[in-house]
Amino acid sequence: MAKDVWKFVAPEHLYYCYECSRCTGSCPAAMVMDTPGPRRLLIKCLHEGPQAVIQEESLWFCTICHVCEDRCPQEIHITDLLTALMNLASRKGNVPERVKAAVETIARTGRSVVTYRVDEERLRLGLKPLGRIDTHELEIIAARTGLLEKKSS
Amino acid sequence: MPEAEKKKSDNQERRVGVFVCHCGLNIGGVVDCKAVAEYAARLPDVVYAVDNLYTCSDPGQAQIKDAIAEHKLNRVVVASCTPRLHEPTFRATVAAAGLNPYLFEMANIREHCSWVHLHEKDGATEKAKDLIRMAVSRSRLLTPQTEIKVPVTRRALVLGGGVAGIQSALDLADSGYEVYLIERSASIGGRMAQIDKTFPTMDCSICILAPKMSEVGRHPNIHLMTLSELESVEGYVGNFKARVRRLARFVTNECTSCGDCVAECPQLTPDDFNAGLSTRRAIFIPFAQAVPSSYLIDMSLCLNKEGIIACDKCYQACQHHCIDYNQQDEILNLEVGTIIVATGMDVYDPTPLTEFGYRKFPNVLTSLEFERLINAGGPSGGNLIRPSDGGRPKRVAFLQCIGSRSYRSNVYCSSICCMNTIKDVLLIKEHWPETEVSVHYIDIRAYGKGFEELFRRARMEGVLFIRGLPGEIIEDYKTRNLTLIGEDTLQGEIYKKEVDMVILSVGLEPRQDSEAIQRLLNLSCAADGFFLEAHPKLRPVDTPVYGVFLAGCAEGPKDIKESVTQASAAASRANILMSAGEVTVEAITASVNPDRCMGCGLCEPVCPFKSIRLEGEGKERKAFIIEASCQGCGTCAAECQFGAIDMKHFNDQQILAQIDAATEKEPEKLVVAFCCNWCSYAGADFAGVSRMQYPTPVRIIRTMCSGRVSTRFIAEAFVKGAAAVLVSGCHPADCHYIDANLQTEKRVNKLWKRMEKAGLDPKRLQLAWISAAEGNRFAEKISEMNEIIQKVTPAEIQTSREFFRPKKKE
Repeated sequence: MAKDVWKFVAPEHLYYCYECSRCTGSCPAAMVMDTPGPRRLLIKCLHEGPQAVIQEESLWFCTICHVCEDRCPQEIHITDLLTALMNLASRKGNVPERVKAAVETIARTGRSVVTYRVDEERLRLGLKPLGRIDTHELEIIAARTGLLEKKSS
Repeated sequence: MPEAEKKKSDNQERRVGVFVCHCGLNIGGVVDCKAVAEYAARLPDVVYAVDNLYTCSDPGQAQIKDAIAEHKLNRVVVASCTPRLHEPTFRATVAAAGLNPYLFEMANIREHCSWVHLHEKDGATEKAKDLIRMAVSRSRLLTPQTEIKVPVTRRALVLGGGVAGIQSALDLADSGYEVYLIERSASIGGRMAQIDKTFPTMDCSICILAPKMSEVGRHPNIHLMTLSELESVEGYVGNFKARVRRLARFVTNECTSCGDCVAECPQLTPDDFNAGLSTRRAIFIPFAQAVPSSYLIDMSLCLNKEGIIACDKCYQACQHHCIDYNQQDEILNLEVGTIIVATGMDVYDPTPLTEFGYRKFPNVLTSLEFERLINAGGPSGGNLIRPSDGGRPKRVAFLQCIGSRSYRSNVYCSSICCMNTIKDVLLIKEHWPETEVSVHYIDIRAYGKGFEELFRRARMEGVLFIRGLPGEIIEDYKTRNLTLIGEDTLQGEIYKKEVDMVILSVGLEPRQDSEAIQRLLNLSCAADGFFLEAHPKLRPVDTPVYGVFLAGCAEGPKDIKESVTQASAAASRANILMSAGEVTVEAITASVNPDRCMGCGLCEPVCPFKSIRLEGEGKERKAFIIEASCQGCGTCAAECQFGAIDMKHFNDQQILAQIDAATEKEPEKLVVAFCCNWCSYAGADFAGVSRMQYPTPVRIIRTMCSGRVSTRFIAEAFVKGAAAVLVSGCHPADCHYIDANLQTEKRVNKLWKRMEKAGLDPKRLQLAWISAAEGNRFAEKISEMNEIIQKVTPAEIQTSREFFRPKKKE
């Protein structure tokens, strides 16, 4: 399974890291959330292997903004690594509940946020409600990738 | 060599002695040296073969001498390291035993074998046997050569007037040689003149430099030439002819540097010396202690351009009438014996690292700008002020490794920035102890004498050392204060730190125009762009070009002490050449056999040194080689269709013998590689030194230049059944023989076309430009070619054998 991660980023490339921590210093998620940040995830991945990192819930705070990768003096593909790790975690069923909930919201409604309050506001302003989105395909994708457990409907 | 003696040695029976070196475990740990020596003993004409632990040691050399006497050896082959390292040693050994040094040959079984095939012991042993067989068959055809001695002009040229150039010039001048010191800018002094204090002693930089500068100015043996640039260099060791352009100063020597002119000048521009933090006029003196102590006019700024006098205010102000708007550039032709390159370095410009906001946020400065700010002679008179409001910063942060140790800028460590920052923080603490200072670092490298003590002092002063560089700097647009956001990796905590001023501790870079100097002098550059020394350990100030030496940061980042040390070393190396007064040069030159020469003239245009003349008319028209200027690349010999040009020590028979020997066993699984002595062979050596592993099936044949590799050699390799051929040389602009490798390219291009027409895979013939620093490139190339030869079928080999077989014309 770890191979799936090394397919995207060579482990040798991680050895380039000299822990200047410009990645964590650049990480918008690390500014607002309690997370070890890209540096410590990378080092953990190197020392303890991908299996250990996918246990970390904070892995999912990554917004894939690529700033860490952009500023890395050693040009390590940090975002690629984190993405690969998240993919591995999801394949292992290691997705945090709130991420699952977010996926479900998208798959069921086509939107990442709940909109009934928006609709109330739009009604008050005399606008049409946002209406429903066809989510059939989204649901198929979510089910196929294992992100969404099939509900017996 | 007298003709009679030559004949005698030609007719002699060949008696070859082979010495296989274990080099401790360096070779012996991988290659079965005993078996190799036993194999060598059975080769034709080999009368003596032995393996020993260290051939280069005194007992090893004694063994060679004894064997020459005892077994009447007249050819000696040593299988050990690269000839670039010990060929001179062993040549001297055989010469001491009464043998002509050119009857010695080396097989490189360390850099090209044991070190690059560490895990393939059997393959390496077989390869070592092949390499020795190649060396033996070449050695049988070697002929004695006589080296010529050339006189060395007892004058030196020093390029660059920084502290390194100054030291070299003074050392040589004190030794009694005439020295031309050429400096591009208007004053000598270089970077050291810009710096405030020096570490670790905290001496005032200009105070210790200025006496040396004025000594240069008044030394009777030094011709100081500022505002001067090297335009061209010709010749060779001991006899260089340099052309120097001395730019007009527009102020005559009578200038007393009173400064009356400056007050009148209407033109302003940023002052380079103060890192652009202040302004200067069009007429100016670089700095107070400048040598020569004379003003000059910057004509790119002055209103009087192209001979039109639009403003003569400075002329009117000058009481001594030292201003001459009509001064012209001067061209000087200098004849010198040795050259010292002390061209220095540039400072990294951190503008591309946009997250730090340099040039966007006024209070983000570089370390060089900081040096000028804190210098009493600087724009603020030594007061630490914020550029945004002129206030004194209460909180200062230093960021380390800016532009160093990074694939986004320069990969190497600039080596001086850690100590420079520690010195800077101590200066702040010394003058304004209440200032909060933090240093954001990755590693602090305090490696030298007195460095760790200084680092400790900085910590004792309460300077905060925070491990981890900030990810970005954010500016408060009202207060112009800066917030650093980063992670303290030792605490594992995110910090947001507001400071008044940020200093980016920038690294050093090769000078932007160092390429021009590299071309002019035929030097080599390492991958980082600094000039390459002849040997990183044992010849650290020599260059591959005999008679040219390196000093200071031109060779790599270093501090003042190291620069001065190296400058003295370079001066002393140059001194050795000049005090000897003459030098022997290798007897590797071309000669024409008039009986074979048809006077076709093909050789004349390919000679990079214009050393071939065609003389006579009609049938009597023959090529003639000017031996004194022939550098021995062998391009002419490769071009000659009639085999009329004999390249001494690298003649056709010798190289063909090597090819035949290389392809004796299983040629269908081999790459025959031709590597030029200066770049590719050295690059292959570098792969060895760095232990870069590559597949064994490659057999390297050394030529002086890739231009020596004639179509005939490539054809021979294919006729003998080689799976692939690699021709490699210096990068086109770096050729040791100006542009001889362009002929190589032409030749290979032609062959590619012919191969394609004949239905042969042109990939089986490869051309690669590999520099002496590109060991990885060499290793990659061989791995790539190994893949190719795996796919070559026996049928294809047969086709190429037929195709390249010479057609009988005569």
